Amino acid sequence: MDFDAIVVGSGMSGGWAAKELCERGLKVCVLERGKPTEPTRDYSDFLEPWETKHLDRISKQTAERDFPITGVNYAMKESNRHLWMTDREQPYQRTDDQSFNWRRGAHVGGRSLLWGRASYRFSPFDFEVNKLDGEGVDWPVRYDDIAPWYDHVEKFAGIAGNRDGIEQLPDGKHFQPAFEHTCAELDLKEKLKVSFPERKLIMGRVAHLTKPTEEQLALGRGQCQARNRCNHGCSFGAYFSSNHATLPAAERTGNLTLIPNSAVSKLIHDPVKNRITGVQVVDTETGAGTTHTAKIVFVNASTIGTTLILLNSATEDRPNGLANSSDQLGRNLMDHIGGSQVVAHVPGHLDKYFYGRRPIGAYIPRYRNYPKQEESYKRGWGYQVYSWREGWGANKGIGESFKTGNQTPGPWGIMLDAFGECLPDPTNTVRAHKTKTDKWGQPIAVVDFKLGSNEEALMRAAHADAFEILKAAGFNGFYEATKPDDNLNGVLGRIHEMGTARMGRDPKTSVLNGWNQSHDIPNLFVTDGSFMTSSAVQNPSLTYMAFSARAAHHAADLLQEGEL
Amino acid sequence: MTNFFMTDRRDAIKALLAISAAGALSACLEGPADSGGSTTVSSAPTLSASEMALVSALAQTIIPKTETAGAIEAVVPATIQSLFTEWADDNYRTYWRAGLDKLEKHFVRSGGQPFAKMTASQQSNLLGKYDTQAFAENGFDDFYKSLKSTVATAYYMSEPGASEELAYESVPGEWRGCVPLSEFPKTWAT
Repeated sequence: MDFDAIVVGSGMSGGWAAKELCERGLKVCVLERGKPTEPTRDYSDFLEPWETKHLDRISKQTAERDFPITGVNYAMKESNRHLWMTDREQPYQRTDDQSFNWRRGAHVGGRSLLWGRASYRFSPFDFEVNKLDGEGVDWPVRYDDIAPWYDHVEKFAGIAGNRDGIEQLPDGKHFQPAFEHTCAELDLKEKLKVSFPERKLIMGRVAHLTKPTEEQLALGRGQCQARNRCNHGCSFGAYFSSNHATLPAAERTGNLTLIPNSAVSKLIHDPVKNRITGVQVVDTETGAGTTHTAKIVFVNASTIGTTLILLNSATEDRPNGLANSSDQLGRNLMDHIGGSQVVAHVPGHLDKYFYGRRPIGAYIPRYRNYPKQEESYKRGWGYQVYSWREGWGANKGIGESFKTGNQTPGPWGIMLDAFGECLPDPTNTVRAHKTKTDKWGQPIAVVDFKLGSNEEALMRAAHADAFEILKAAGFNGFYEATKPDDNLNGVLGRIHEMGTARMGRDPKTSVLNGWNQSHDIPNLFVTDGSFMTSSAVQNPSLTYMAFSARAAHHAADLLQEGEL
Repeated sequence: MTNFFMTDRRDAIKALLAISAAGALSACLEGPADSGGSTTVSSAPTLSASEMALVSALAQTIIPKTETAGAIEAVVPATIQSLFTEWADDNYRTYWRAGLDKLEKHFVRSGGQPFAKMTASQQSNLLGKYDTQAFAENGFDDFYKSLKSTVATAYYMSEPGASEELAYESVPGEWRGCVPLSEFPKTWAT
């Protein structure tokens, strides 16, 4: 054996698996499809606006050449586009007229370098709801099982937030000081207490250091500078990423071997021992093939990437892919549902402004169908809340008056952006294409992801509620930045795709057990978003981190007890 | 907030989304520029001398030099030429060429000569009227609004536009959510 453990992928969850396994004394190899990340070369966080090329917009030709399927999204700039996997490097297909956008990193650290950094726990209710309403399968884990691991990852990662005492959004023990609200948010927060006491506006919880611990400082991480240049990498290491937190922690144990430019083509399965014995990779620079061997394998290639690897590792006796005796691999694809963004003008507060650039908005946690099912649809949504004072613009007027007009900030505005829960539906799938392959010969992903009737009903309700909330607050000048009717052909993707290798109690209906371990193959673990049994409404990365750490310790226990 | 593409509310939202984690949807707002031009125009990937003269004169009239730098001092015309040459696709170029051609014809008709040849006061007078109409009547000239937005973006992202005309902090160091405007009276560039 070359290693004790191989971790496929160095992103959000792979970094955690690597850190915990290394700290338990295992020799760990991390295989990363993307390029090495070199902050001094790859980060553009110190680029001033006037130093950017083409106003930092990705050119039409580049977009057409590199991102013809996924398109260009809010976080993609001319100066950071080298961090995004292009459709040329890893093409995929989606069902006609559907809109799922598969957005991925192309470098060591993956999307942990590009993420939105919102960090919320799932609640006890979220782990019970499948059982209560009969959707999907029951989570094999309850909140009490995962709570200590939320503590563990929050303490290390550093989460800025308030202890709000809201049972559907449990507090952490180790929060760092929260960012402040704007006065528009404080206005809405106070009015909600009167108009809808069960709908609470809180400050967003975010993986930024506002009061770094000794442990974080020792890793070379520093305090957030309120630049909001996060999607360009952070030279201060102020937000949580594999690059600045888990990988350096793994590295300092002396047990880590990180091999970038390694696209995994398949896992090798020994049918006699029923173990994964090796991981076959292609060097993306030379095209050379290599097989690495280890006692246990963690697959953290991101939901679609992991699913593809397992499907593409099919053997004669396992023609539907590895770890797929349940036929659930590649099914139940979920993402958070968007489609309602309502903007309003907030009267008053004209003598107030803000200083700095906050890297997160406010949040209204889920309140519908909680704690009891009351509506005609199931589940609910949360609102991410953004507020601002209108700044310079190209409004009417020319000359000196146009210039001076832009020098004074305009009125306050606020936006409620609903993130809805997606039900697990076995007909929402990721499949391997029968004939088309990528440049490394690996069959490409085919995504079939429809918007279900529950998701549509829920988003329409979220839209109506957003108006209700903003009207009751006395706000005006409403504008629908996105409305549900714009968005009925499939799921766009919030970059929260998950669920295609779900965990469950029964090997007949789930891919993984409650320890993120394959029901079929004991030395195979999956801890990226594909393990998720339901989506809840919370941004999911924190939950991936907690399950990754927990699974890594369980795997290390089994290995050290001689079980694997 | 950041204000990259503000021709209208839709663009204001797009700019907002540019800074938010919630922006996974913003791509659906990125409608392509509608290339409605039927005029026969050059397909060269560079704005001609006369087109550049018009662009420069428009930029200077929209954002003149006052006590602070104007669009010319902030090299806005060169930024636009580089967008046109290196960034745009043929649809975009056709849209701009047709739009500029229509604007020039309007000014020749109403002012008797190409816009760039007029006196500053004539430019300001005629463009002021045109601007008023463009913002009063929906669909009167969307290209003009788009051009104006590009001029404004190039200006307010330039060093004098961001750091002298407006307020800009490269490294704020901290966030304060609700401060007296009197302490920070100028619009943040970003």
